Order: sequence, then C-alpha cells, then structure tokens
Amino acid sequence: MAETAKSARHHVVVGSGVAGFQAAETLRERDPDSRITILTLSRLLFYKRYDLPKVFRGSRDWREFLVHPAEFYRDRRIGMRRASHVANVDSRRKVITLDHKEEIRFDTLLVASGGRAYLPEELAEFRPLMHNFGSYEDAITMAKALPERGHAIMLGGDMIGLDLARTLIDTQHRVTLVAGPHTFWPHEVGESERPALVATLEKMGIEVIEGADTGGIASIEQGARGFSARRVLFKDGTEIAGDVVMPFFGLMPSVEFMLGSGVDIERGLLVSPGLRTTDESIYAAGDVCQIWSDAERRYRFYYGWKNVRAMGDLAARNITGSSDPWVPAQDEKLHISGDGRIQSPFWEYE
Amino acid sequence: MATDIQISIVGSAGDGTIAAGEILRSALAGMGYKVISFDVYPPEIRGFGKCIARMRITTEQAYSLKNKSDVLISLDDSHAIPHAGEVRECGAVIYERGSIVQLPEGGHISAHIGPGQLPYPVPIRELSEKSTGANRSRNIVVLGFLAGLLSLPAEAFRKAIGRKFKSKAAAAEASEAAFKAGLDLAAQTFKLDDVMFGPPVSTVVAGATVEMINGNAAVVRGALDAGIDTFFGYPITPATSIMERLASEMPKRGARLLQTEDEISAISATIGAGFAGARAATSTSGPGLALMAEMLGLGVIAEVPSVVFVSQRGGPSTGMPTKTEQSDLHMAVYGGHGDAPRIVIAPTNVDGCYRCGGKAFEMAEAYQTPVIVLLDLYLSNRYETVVFPSRPPFEADCNRKPGKLQAGEQYKRFALTGDLISPRAIPGEKGGMHVITGLEHNELGRPNDQAQMHEAMSRKRHEKLKAALRHPDFTHYKRFGDEGQVDVGLISWGSTFGECLEAMYKARGEGIRCAAMKVVMLSPFPTHGVAAFMNDCKQVLVPELNYQGQFANLLQAHVAKPVTRLNRVPGEPMKVEDILEEIRRLAGRGKTAQKAA
Ligand SMILES: Cc1cc2nc3c(=O)[nH]c(=O)nc-3n(C[C@H](O)[C@H](O)[C@H](O)COP(=O)(O)OP(=O)(O)OC[C@H]3O[C@@H](n4cnc5c(N)ncnc54)[C@H](O)[C@@H]3O)c2cc1C
Repeated sequence: MAETAKSARHHVVVGSGVAGFQAAETLRERDPDSRITILTLSRLLFYKRYDLPKVFRGSRDWREFLVHPAEFYRDRRIGMRRASHVANVDSRRKVITLDHKEEIRFDTLLVASGGRAYLPEELAEFRPLMHNFGSYEDAITMAKALPERGHAIMLGGDMIGLDLARTLIDTQHRVTLVAGPHTFWPHEVGESERPALVATLEKMGIEVIEGADTGGIASIEQGARGFSARRVLFKDGTEIAGDVVMPFFGLMPSVEFMLGSGVDIERGLLVSPGLRTTDESIYAAGDVCQIWSDAERRYRFYYGWKNVRAMGDLAARNITGSSDPWVPAQDEKLHISGDGRIQSPFWEYE
Repeated sequence: MATDIQISIVGSAGDGTIAAGEILRSALAGMGYKVISFDVYPPEIRGFGKCIARMRITTEQAYSLKNKSDVLISLDDSHAIPHAGEVRECGAVIYERGSIVQLPEGGHISAHIGPGQLPYPVPIRELSEKSTGANRSRNIVVLGFLAGLLSLPAEAFRKAIGRKFKSKAAAAEASEAAFKAGLDLAAQTFKLDDVMFGPPVSTVVAGATVEMINGNAAVVRGALDAGIDTFFGYPITPATSIMERLASEMPKRGARLLQTEDEISAISATIGAGFAGARAATSTSGPGLALMAEMLGLGVIAEVPSVVFVSQRGGPSTGMPTKTEQSDLHMAVYGGHGDAPRIVIAPTNVDGCYRCGGKAFEMAEAYQTPVIVLLDLYLSNRYETVVFPSRPPFEADCNRKPGKLQAGEQYKRFALTGDLISPRAIPGEKGGMHVITGLEHNELGRPNDQAQMHEAMSRKRHEKLKAALRHPDFTHYKRFGDEGQVDVGLISWGSTFGECLEAMYKARGEGIRCAAMKVVMLSPFPTHGVAAFMNDCKQVLVPELNYQGQFANLLQAHVAKPVTRLNRVPGEPMKVEDILEEIRRLAGRGKTAQKAA
C-alpha cells in the first residue's frame, strides 16, 4: 500500500482496463499526495487487450502485452490490488467490500469495471464448449485449442471478433462467421451498408453464413474422436465442424457489485456528461457507463479504446476539480479503407 | 535447464506449515533435487506464533537460502504478510482466497502483493472441507496446488505423504483427498509466474546414498558411524533432537543412552564413560554448556576424551530459544576456569555435521580431551541433501595404547612424551593402573602443585592439541573462490559460511576478485593457514551472527592484520545481500560508487 499522509485523499478505482488505468495515471498527476488504489479481478497489470490476437503471431508471454512494467506502479505509488473482487459498495459509509470480506474506505470512487462478453440465453447451455477471447488467459487457452491451419467458428462476430478473425486469416487459419445483428457491434449498421461490409469480410477470406445467428443454432456439440473438436448444428439441419467455437455478441456492463450502492443503473451505470453518478463521490468511465447525451436525449454507451481512455482521463480530471463534459467523437461510422479493411474511427487496432 | 527455486510456506503454529515443508522437501529430494531447507517455529503452543518452512531446491550445489523466494504460500496472512516482499518479481504468491472474518484494509495478503508478483488466490479452506470434511488439511491442499502449478510429479508427493503418515491411516487418507483437490484446482488455473523446474541431475557416485537430513540428524549419523557407545543428555532446544534420535538408534546397536537430571550430571557421566574407555558424548545448547563448564575443566585436566555437541541459539540466558545465533563461541573456546584448552570444531553445512559428528570422537580419543562440536539452530534444523559414502570415513580406535612396561617400570598416565600425548590405559587394563583426579598432578597422576609441574602440565595440555591441526582426513579450513591476490577475502565459520560462499560467488559474478575461507577448527586455531589466506586479501571481511564479533576476536588474537566485522543478531540466518553489499563496499563498488558509474 502506498504510504501517504493521513489527510491525503484515497482515490479508489475499480478496474484496471484502459479506463481505470488512465484515470489512475491522471489522478496521480493531478493529486500527487493522494493515495490511489486500483482494484481489479485481473491477475495481470494493465495490458493491451487489442493486441491479444498477437498470440497467433507468436507472442505468448504476458509480459509482451503489458503497457507498463511493475516499476511504473511503484514509482507512481499506484496500489494495484489484483485478483481482488469487489463485492459491494456502500456509498453512504464510503466503504468497498471485497469478496474476501476486506473493507476499503474511499474518498472518491471511480467505477471502471468494463463489461464482459454477452452470451444470448439460448446459447448459455453450450458455454463449456465455447472459447472466450476477453482476457490474456482466454487468448492463450483458445490459441492452444486451435491447431495450426485450424478452423475457428465465430458466432455473432462483433468488432472484437472481427479483429481476431483478420489475424486468424493472416496466420493461415480458417474462419467461419455465423453473422447476425451483432456482427459489427458496437457500430449500428444500416440495412443498406451491410452488404458492402459483409462482402469486405468475405474478400478478407472469412466464410460468412448470414441469417443463422443465435436463433438458427440448434446446438453445439463435441466433435467425434478423430474429427474436428466441435460441431455447430443449425435448425435447418445443416452443420459445420470446427476446432473452436467462439461467441462474439458484444459486451454486458459489469455492474453487479454496484446494485446495492444506491447509484442509478440502467444497463450500465448512469452518469452525467461529467461522468459523475448519482452519488457525488462516485464516478464511472469506460464500457460500464452510460453517459447522458444532450444531443440524443438519452443515456448511451461509447466503446472502443480511444473513447474509453478519454473517459478515464476525463473522470480523473473531474474528480480532481475540473468540471468538463464528455465530448463524443463526431464520426462513429465504419469505413472500408483503401486496402479493403473495415475501420472504426474510435477503435484501436493491433 | 538448471533449477534454483526457493519456496516458503508461512503459517501459524497448528496450521501444518512445518509438516507441509517436510512433505515438500521429502518429495523434491526423492525426485533427485538438492534441497537446503530451514524451518522457523515458535516456542508457543498450537494457535500461536509464526511458523516458516523455507527451502531452496537446486540442481547445482547451493550453500544457503536465497534472500528472495520464488513462491510464497500463506496459510495465515497475519504471519505471511511481512514476508510478501520476499517474493521475487514474477514469482508466485499462493493464499487463501476467502476469509471467515471481516478484515480491515490491508488485513488480507492480496493487499501486500507487489505489482511484479503474481497472485494465486485459492479457496484452500473450502477445498479442505469439501475433500476431507475438515479444514485441517489446508496444508496438503496447497501442496497439491503447488505440485499442479509447477508440474511436479504427483506420485513423488503421494509417496512423501505416505511416509509422513505411515502410521496414521485416517490422516493419510484425508491427505490424499486434500492433495487431489489442490491438484485438480491447479489444472484449471492459468499459470502466470515463471517458476520452472528443470529435470533433476544426479551426481551420486556408485555405492553412496543420498539423504535429506538436517544438521542434528547428520551429527547423530556421524556419531553412530563413529561407534558411539554411550550418551548422557538433558533436553534443550535446539539440541534435543540429537538425543531423541540417538535414543531410538543407539539401543538397536547395543549402545546406551541415559537422560540425566541436568546438564552437570550429563557431562559428568560423559566424562566418566570416557574415562572408562567408551566413546561417550552429550549434547546441549548455550545455557547447558554454561552448566557444563566446571566439569569440562575436569575433562581437560584429567585428559579424558569426551564429545559435547552444542547447538547455539539466541542468548544470553533463556534468550531466544527458537532463534539462531552464533554467540557461544567465546564460551566454547574459552569458557571455564583455569587454563582449560579444548578442541572446538564447527561444521559449516549438514555434510560437515556428519563429518564433525564422527571425527569428534577420533579427536577426543587421539588428543585425550573434550571436543566441542559447535552447531547453531540454523544448522541443526537445516535440511540438506547429503551424499553418504558407502563406508563410514571414521577410525574405530584412535587411542594411543601403552606399550609393554619394563620390569619395575610404573605406568605414567600423564607421561611427558615428545608430542606431549601420553599413552592411555583404560581402567582395568593390565599394568595400566593409575590415579586420576581434578587436581594438578605429576606424570603418574598423583597430586602435585609444584610450580615446575604445573608449568609442564599446563604446557602439555595446550601444546598436545597442536597435533589436532594435522588430524587426518579432516578439513580444518578451506579456501574457495579466486586464487592468489584478491580484493576481498571472507572468513567465516559455522552456518554463516553458506551465506558467505553465496555472496562471494555473486561478487565474483560482478567482477570483484574475491575468495572465502571457512574455518572449521576453531580451537586450536589454524593460524598458519588463515594468516596465509589473509595475506592474499586486500580486505578481510568476517560475517557472523553475534554482536561482539566473537570469531573476529578469536581471529585477531591469532592474526594481527585488521579485519572488517559484519555482525548481525536478527535471530535468523544472515542475508546474502548484506554480505554482498559489504563486499562491494570494501571493493570500492558500494551502491554510491555503482550509481556514479
Ligand atoms: C477482448 C476484447 C478485445 C478488444 N479489442 C479492442 C480493440 O482491438 N480496439 C479497441 O479499440 N477496443 C477493443 N476492445 C474494446 C475496448 O477495449 C473496451 O471498450 C475497453 O477495453 C473497455 O475498457 P474499460 O476500462 O472500460 O473496461 P475493461 O477493459 O473491460 O476493464 C474492466 C476492469 O474491471 C475489472 N472488474 C470488473 N468487475 C470487477 C469487480 N467486481 N471487482 C474488481 N474489478 C472488476 C476487470 O478486472 C477489469 O480490470 C476490446 C474489448 C475486448 C473485451
């Protein structure tokens, strides 16, 4: 734990993703005497999630993914409580309880707990037969399961999945995408734009199955011995076999531990344009929060590395005295670049 | 790939910390690794006090424990938290995931895991309860987890568990289930640390046997191999296990052991047995040695062979009975009344305990005097893998027997011979009748306090010991490291020498010309060899675990060249890093010098 004067404020950040990390860095710059503690489920220090497809290009050591080494945290006196599960937040007492019953007092709290892969209910029973790709550990486990030139079946296919698909094709794997409404998540793609985007995917080498998606899947099964490890059976009687099946249906905000805290929650934590929740000492940033948009007259999510980092920075500035509003990027459209790639303006690429 | 891994298990008394350590090192030694291990345990009863089982597992020979562990297992966070910082970068911290009580901030070890270390929260209690119905097997759950995490063969652990609980079927069964629970969890755990075991390397020569053994057990084995006949003792930490082991082994060989009412009686009986011609010994720690001081004087003046095993602990008085220290050297060498020279030898590792344990009997007999074998708690309790030769390297009889007497000649028990060692008749031996008392005497043993006689006998008692400096097949002192002139030379004794060697090799790795000398024979002092070494050293550093610099005092009494003392009394082994830092400083490469460079 960082040693600071007793009077120093204790800023607690839940989450060591890009929002949480960026916030901690900005908090340290702007409040040098404070105590800063990051609480995170992760066992690793902050790493570049968007680089994870690199596990297929030979990078397997987690140290290659770290944004900063351990000294960075020591030098800046940022306490990193890894493998720590926040179970509950008591906003009145300003106390966080971890699931091992440790209580941590905070002066300000930034919730940057992101989201976890969403899995439609009808597929939930097949979870054990699917591989996630949300963390370094997931990525390595999946990479070990996918043989050289192996076949990956992606269900849904959001931007995270499409990034991975591109790398898999580049590294001589076969990719089948069972496409659906989530295919370009978090982008909303109109009927008219979709065919061109799907064609681009096919040009990249991805085999796209349109129209099946979740509703069309009857079951996912273990492959027979000596054959591919997995089979996806469709309701129309067809099936495909592959080595791994991966669900990519966007993210669901991680808010469970905030349920009793008294702050307003819709799907994510509802925050003002200044990223403050309904409790004045609690802020939120990143995939976990829905920000009030004056223009759209609704709370909405903003995803992608660049957006989320900016949110972390903004929340920290506002915690330390500023009162700036979130300014969303004007351009949220997907583009097809000259070299035939699908590009998002707020997405960071490997 | 060479293996060099240190594992620490920290818990509270009653958590099974020491037992887990025992099983772990037994499993690892069984696989063929070299293991050095040292347990720290409190004097208190169950439920109180910190226990640490710490071991270093290597393929190459290691000489001490490392400053940093590669893996820390916490069975009790309140005790383990101060040790979290001892885990190296990219090392693993394995701990109880949950807690049954509300904790204040910082009350859980996860708060103390540094950003470079890797956390492994494990539901230890839950797994123990689920697999065995009780939480007593938490220590075995973590062993299962560790075995799985480090891909160590489960079979070696199962065998070690079987050995540990061979007479307790229920405990063995519960342990098997708990071990499996930990192992299964490890199979689902993503390994992030970089702690890796390479294959073990066997360097054992044909006929020899390898055993995981601690210093006290090695002393016992040496004594048994040297043919100990009688033992008299009174228990005291950390020497008690010498007597305990002998108590179970000696009767099997027709030898006898008696627990006496106190240490005075123990040494008295030992000297009595020695007088009667037996290979006799006692064992004790500092406070016991203090009580024995008077009778040791009798052993000296009566020139009776006897062996005293002394395991030092933190003093003075009751002091720190479960902490290590090297602060009884003055008493061992000088303690007592009158001019009472004796032989004092101090092994520096467990193998040395075996050798000194046996050689002490040879020396006692050959030079007709008490021999003190000086261990310390760290060495007594330290486990190492030791290679035992196929035949014990000890002489069965070193007694100088009286020749045939000429007609009318009277046997002189204290004859002033050329080397001042007299032929020794055993009571009852034909023609060997003589008198022995605690009084100064003439060659026949009859009381005599004439100035000339006292001078002659005093000289005899001192000078005869010089022969011990040439005692065969014994390492009196030994030099390691760079040959010729060096910038820094370390001289040390006892258990601390391991840390010195380790520091010396590290210093050499940093380009410092460095050597180290261990001195095993402390009295009589091997002045010649030590002085020659000191002549080669620009600077001499003497690290030891006492406040006064007792060995440095002894050394300076024999060699005038000034030395730098490094004295610590933490109750724990000296830190290699402390010695290394001092070497750097003496070599002009201190921290400040390094930074400037
Ligand atoms: C696999 C994957 C790949 C992606 N690839 C890209 C990409 O290539 N380019 C791009 O621009 N965007 C990418 N994104 C999206 C973008 O990374 C996210 O918008 C961004 O990472 C969100 O950051 P965050 O800090 O809000 O949350 P996250 O990065 O999700 O971090 C959430 C943190 O909260 C912690 N947490 C959650 N619950 C608790 C709890 N109860 N207690 C304690 N800690 C908790 C987690 O351990 C984690 O550290 C990707 C997202 C994923 C999941």
